[in-house]
Amino acid sequence: MTRYDLIIVGAGPAGLSAAIEAAKQGLKVIVFDENAKPGGQLFKQIHKFFGSKEHKAKIRGFKIGEELLKEANDFGVEVVLNAIVIGLYLDKEVTVNINDEIRHYKGDAVIVATGASENMVTFDGWTLPGVIGAGAAQTMMNLHSVRPGNKVLMLGSGNVGLVVSFQLLQAGCEVVALVDAAPKVGGYGVHAAKVARCGVSFYLSHTIIKAEGEECVKGVTIGEVDSRWRLVPGTEKHFEVDTICLAVGLSPMSQLLKMAGCEMKNTPAGYVPKCDETGETNIPGLFAAGDVSGIEEASSAMIEGRIAGLAAAENLGFLDKEELSEKIYELKKALLSLREGMFAPGNRGKAIEKTEEGIDLSINLLKKGYVGETEIERFPGVTRKKGVHPVIECTQNIPCNPCQDVCPKKCIKIGDKITSLPTLDETKECSGCGMCVAACSGQAIFLMNEEFEPGFAAITLPYEFLPLPSKGDKGMALDRSGKEICEAEIIDVKTKQVFDHTHLLTMKVPVNMAGKSRFFVVRRQENE
Amino acid sequence: MSNVNNRFKKDLDKFITEFDDDLIICRCEEVTKGEIRRAVHDGMYTLTEIRRYLRSGMGLCQGQTCQILVKGIVAKELGISPMDLEPVISRSPTRPIEMKVLGNEGKEAL
Amino acid sequence: MRISNHPILGKPEEKREVEFTYDGQIMKGLEGEPIAVALKVAGVKIHRYTKKYHKARGIFCAIGRCTDCVMVVDGKPNVRTCITPLKEGMKIQTQYGVAAKES
Repeated sequence: MTRYDLIIVGAGPAGLSAAIEAAKQGLKVIVFDENAKPGGQLFKQIHKFFGSKEHKAKIRGFKIGEELLKEANDFGVEVVLNAIVIGLYLDKEVTVNINDEIRHYKGDAVIVATGASENMVTFDGWTLPGVIGAGAAQTMMNLHSVRPGNKVLMLGSGNVGLVVSFQLLQAGCEVVALVDAAPKVGGYGVHAAKVARCGVSFYLSHTIIKAEGEECVKGVTIGEVDSRWRLVPGTEKHFEVDTICLAVGLSPMSQLLKMAGCEMKNTPAGYVPKCDETGETNIPGLFAAGDVSGIEEASSAMIEGRIAGLAAAENLGFLDKEELSEKIYELKKALLSLREGMFAPGNRGKAIEKTEEGIDLSINLLKKGYVGETEIERFPGVTRKKGVHPVIECTQNIPCNPCQDVCPKKCIKIGDKITSLPTLDETKECSGCGMCVAACSGQAIFLMNEEFEPGFAAITLPYEFLPLPSKGDKGMALDRSGKEICEAEIIDVKTKQVFDHTHLLTMKVPVNMAGKSRFFVVRRQENE
Repeated sequence: MSNVNNRFKKDLDKFITEFDDDLIICRCEEVTKGEIRRAVHDGMYTLTEIRRYLRSGMGLCQGQTCQILVKGIVAKELGISPMDLEPVISRSPTRPIEMKVLGNEGKEAL
Repeated sequence: MRISNHPILGKPEEKREVEFTYDGQIMKGLEGEPIAVALKVAGVKIHRYTKKYHKARGIFCAIGRCTDCVMVVDGKPNVRTCITPLKEGMKIQTQYGVAAKES
């Protein structure tokens, strides 16, 4: 039996953050993780995170993972990989399988940060090779550099389904459809919009009827469901695909906590331990942090981890009560701000029709994945003026404000409440630097100049695909639904370190198309 | 503990086969939806009972994928919310492990 | 199937190419990548056939949780190929029920 001040199970965002804070207070900390690499799911997250500076907004998930690892290393945290925790007992004893030997550890405090596992749905053929979890797709393409399939159908319009669909496109796969049984897109509208403008069709109120194929997936049939989830006859649609990707939610992986004897509760979001505001369970010195105590974003998991790490330090006398409450004050505030807005945990299942500002939400966005042309005009970030200026197609209250932070001219205003929709300060002059376009984690900001040339407008858009078009390339402009609407020519391509792999394409389109043109494809060969 | 035990017995409708009864629910032990529904009518009202009776969730993955699905099916059959069903008991080992490893105590310090 | 250049992640880390056998057939993969990834690149989708109904199964979760991708590796059954690194000369066999096919 080896003793540690603090044992942490799981080296994901929550576990590592907890380890760092506890180690900073002088605790002897060990972290076990069953995987060969630390970071949990962070290394599969290649999109820029939402939130504010203190939530590491506009940094890509895998970069945050690298930063966390470095910090953990700097503070002397011991991370043991390929270490499978198989048991956790009441007296905070942990049994671990390391190199095919069972080892016993005892922690004066234990933090369980085991994260979540994917939910699945059943349909005819769901066990066929080719039906995979969205996590599997992410693992294959973002960790192992292999495309999960060539033609993919995605089931699930929550953030995971939307983000992974976009990643599939980035990896060079074709996403033939995005399907969800719910009548509305579940994830952030901006995530949906960036998928839709690439030409992916959304099928809300649809479900998979059957995955076809004898020994592996060759196709899929979907059909419409009514408000009571019954199939509407005659609505079947067939797609040829080799992969069906399931993104239908996550559940806390809380078995260890239950095993240890924690008081648990059944919630619609899963089976979770009863915790106080620091993550401590009813067993003193035993904490839960991150998705294991309720599914949220990685940004929240990191803050919960930091709080639990500090609380464990207090529990063992490395900090007194006052120091603890002082230290977690800002963290709690940051956590609360992430839990605001339309997608707040408290709003799950509620039908929201207006923004906090009282603007009617875009129905089209919820039904088809993109904001309709007439709807977009009513949002405060969408204005028309002379010269170059940003058009901010941000239509939902999400806790996020990098656009306000990066604008060197202070044109963009969100204010202290970070869920507010961005507005434009008409008195300030946009320099067209494009910092906001690259910084927007939702890729919802465009620059527009309707006076670029007589009869032509210039539209600058964020672009994260290969091959990167070059100046002079001719092609087609696509509208928000991904439909080709007019010819376009690339007049500028900006690539900067500070843009972090988001390139800025500027295309020239007829001025009457300026309000609709939101994406670009290089002209397809006539004879193809 | 579960409050389900005897409350619903008298209310259970007669078992009627459904079109998707042959759908595999537990991928490891190949237990079907119909078998699970039938088990409820046979008097298995808790997830732990179902698990012992059918071996669903007792295979290599230890219910990682099917536990929630089984919960949904049982709850629907009983006409209650899945939240009213206790999850199965959690026991070590939580991951598949060979018996010879489980019995192999590490002696030397790492 | 391999992504040679990714818009965000760039070029993948270079790894040594190694040979292995899949049901007796010689194949190539990258050292240290999961067996399942090497098989995927080689076009193998079926990892096993189930015990009761003899149905084909392949990669499902890809992180070692679902155990659907298990195969017989170097004579040992139930090896989760999605998290087991590929090594030179590995003998990988389709799993039928809980064992390789008797030859």
